[in-house]
Amino acid sequence: MQTVTIKVNGETFTESVPPRLLLVDFLRERLALTGTHVGCTHEGVCGACTVHLDGDAVKSCLMLAVQADGHDITTVEGLAKGEELSALQRAFREEHGLQCGFCTPGILMNMTDFLKHNPNPTDDEIRQGLIGNLCRCTGYVNIIRAVQQASQVMQGEAP
Amino acid sequence: MFPANIEHYSRPATIDEALATSARFEDGEAMFIAGGQSLMQAMKSRMTRPRCLIDLQAIAELRGICPDANALSIGAMTRYATIAADERLTGYFAALRDAASHVGDRQVRNRGTIGGSCCWNYVASCMPAVVLALGAEMQLRAVGGASRSVAAEDFLIAPLETARAEHEILLGLRFQAPAGRGGSAYQKWGLVKDALPVVGVCVAVTLDAAGRCASARVGLAGLSAGAHRATAAEQALLGSTGDAAAIAKAFDAAATAADVQGDKWADMAYRQNLIRTLGQAVATSAFARAAGSKE
Repeated sequence: MQTVTIKVNGETFTESVPPRLLLVDFLRERLALTGTHVGCTHEGVCGACTVHLDGDAVKSCLMLAVQADGHDITTVEGLAKGEELSALQRAFREEHGLQCGFCTPGILMNMTDFLKHNPNPTDDEIRQGLIGNLCRCTGYVNIIRAVQQASQVMQGEAP
Repeated sequence: MFPANIEHYSRPATIDEALATSARFEDGEAMFIAGGQSLMQAMKSRMTRPRCLIDLQAIAELRGICPDANALSIGAMTRYATIAADERLTGYFAALRDAASHVGDRQVRNRGTIGGSCCWNYVASCMPAVVLALGAEMQLRAVGGASRSVAAEDFLIAPLETARAEHEILLGLRFQAPAGRGGSAYQKWGLVKDALPVVGVCVAVTLDAAGRCASARVGLAGLSAGAHRATAAEQALLGSTGDAAAIAKAFDAAATAADVQGDKWADMAYRQNLIRTLGQAVATSAFARAAGSKE
């Protein structure tokens, strides 16, 4: 067992973990932050477990909890400020950017990081940015609309 | 899925400390982990079961991109995202950005590293073909401090096999700058966008004062024997001005000479056609970049 201290959504947690514990399992099982989902579990292809590691979108199933020791993690639970959803979360609700919702946390985390690097993307750039996330409902059209709406809101161009 | 038991995890702050930790274990028991985007999959599928995992994330000297007049140095732990975003990598080094910006997906590029990719040397991967074409020197250090430099083609032995010895770390890659004007490019075709290459082609050329090809190196990705140079194409490009006929001839030769094996997704003829069409596009771009194009 190894002791790790990881800041998650602004709160510092110190836990004793076996080195083989995946970061995604640490978040879900130790901290009960079950918003981070496990889709493919093995190949690291579905992106549902995407979180931010020091601000960068990464797949938490392709990382051990011990590797996150001393780092700053943000999960989907950390996107809203209290009851106030982020612009991207609001846009997903308004544009119906989710169907079953399973992939949504990972997509929100990836696209939050994406919009930080590319605040005014084209539809094609959004599609390229979404390569690491699978939506099994295939609801990509509204996801792209939602990201576009959030981009406009964040730039102060829309309501 | 999750990895088999890992008895020991360490995060050394220096290269020497990392090597000393590795040396405490029997051969094959300790593994270095870079970005982990391949190794974690291998560990979760139990293809590999390291007793000890040595995480290189805290060793600052393994990271960074340093171009000077003679050479470009890239630390082994430099992430794809960092390479993709580095606007200094133009002309002869532009293929590095072409490849790094389309490896996997955003999340993978935020973790995966150039050194990790070369040391893993997966059968279908982009970076080995690029470092072959750019003639990288792989810089290694062993326990006790002995350093050596190995040419990429000697380093990349076969899929999942490299010249890196047990208890030896890849420090970084050194690319000699071309004497004159140089250009390179990389493109791949995968089953879905940005997937592993079914075929990938990297071309690096230099031009003499008259605009003729003075040197050419071509790396192919996706072959069943792993990344290989396409010497037939290289020879055909030499002396040419990068005109369409010369390039077409070069990649006809490459497609014919390459050891291509088909599978149910892409048969042999299709893969040979990919070598031709990607090769022509990439070589055209490499010549244009050598001539000063920013595209």
